[in-house]
Amino acid sequence: MLEAALTGGFWISVLQIIAIDILLGGDNAIVIALACRRLPEKQRRQGIFWGVVGAIGLRVILIFFALQLLAIPFLKIVGGALLLWIGVKLLQPESEGEHGQVDGSTHLFGAIRTIIIADAVMSLDNVIAVAAAAKGDLTLVIFGILVSIPIVVWGSKFVLKLMDRLPVVITFGGALLGWIAGDMLLGDAVIKPYVAGLPGWLKYAASVTGACSVVMVGTWLARRAMRPRAVEVLSSGRHVGGGDGK
Amino acid sequence: MLKVLVPVDGSANSDRVIDHLMREHGSGEAVELHLLNVQIPVDSGHARMFVSGGDVEAYHREEGMQALRKAREKLDAADMTYTWHVAVGHVADTIVRLARELDCDRIVMGTHGRSALTHLLLGSVASEVSRSASVPVMLVK
Repeated sequence: MLEAALTGGFWISVLQIIAIDILLGGDNAIVIALACRRLPEKQRRQGIFWGVVGAIGLRVILIFFALQLLAIPFLKIVGGALLLWIGVKLLQPESEGEHGQVDGSTHLFGAIRTIIIADAVMSLDNVIAVAAAAKGDLTLVIFGILVSIPIVVWGSKFVLKLMDRLPVVITFGGALLGWIAGDMLLGDAVIKPYVAGLPGWLKYAASVTGACSVVMVGTWLARRAMRPRAVEVLSSGRHVGGGDGK
Repeated sequence: MLKVLVPVDGSANSDRVIDHLMREHGSGEAVELHLLNVQIPVDSGHARMFVSGGDVEAYHREEGMQALRKAREKLDAADMTYTWHVAVGHVADTIVRLARELDCDRIVMGTHGRSALTHLLLGSVASEVSRSASVPVMLVK
């Protein structure tokens, strides 16, 4: 661990993990808030609190399993493939008509159930990405979880704004996930022996291939899904006063 | 009649925009005011899977009305006529497009929103709007 800390690779992993936490953790808090919308005020605060606690707890549990599982042959290949998919999905614009049929629950238990399922799914992609970026370094794994906490608790509005003001951040995030995925694929117990004797640049070639394929497939799909549409006005109204020019 | 689109985000800066408009148009010159709050869509990624479209929409509407509240109170108090809109989308893009759709003559908006940090890191919506709008953009500090 100490040796790793002294090389540049450590700090690159740190930056990667922060970027992943921001990109994949931002919507967690929003989903929690939305799931609790229909609860009475007092229960809503309880629901949000336990939802956030659950999101963080699930990250800790999932990352523990992820680290164990990734040592098993083939599972890094699965993880790498999942990461490529997560990257491509990140690049897709929001689309209409694809909403789940789950309406916000009006009672605390129902809301918490929605939150736990949502937390599990949302933590999973974050955990796979963080585990891949950390490459088994426990310091980095713990760091990744610690960084994601403030983002889950407070960061959602900022992450939304970030993506609104600088859409290129999303493309960058997709590329980053592809990059990590390429690296992870080569690290699988099955593939490792074959690449062990090959030159070091192969690792970068795999990463570059991963990054490029995510960005290309992602933008291609996004462009196909995009259609020009009118400004989406949710509601509007008019107030007629007597004080101004008639 | 002069048609003005006024993007509002509920910040102190957008309050000053309303003050300015009231000083300028409160009496005398007739003006058609269109207040607009744009909500950034949250239903990218996961919200889509776990929350119904109606809930997301209701959330956006609530937040939008909240952002418009202070501006509307000011105009109501002055008994001025105005139209308000809550829209969802990319903020600068939506402002520019609605200005075109409503055929506005001018956009009047604040230079910065609520958070100084966001402004510092991301630049302002105002500068993006003034770059891409096809009508004059007036900025109020």
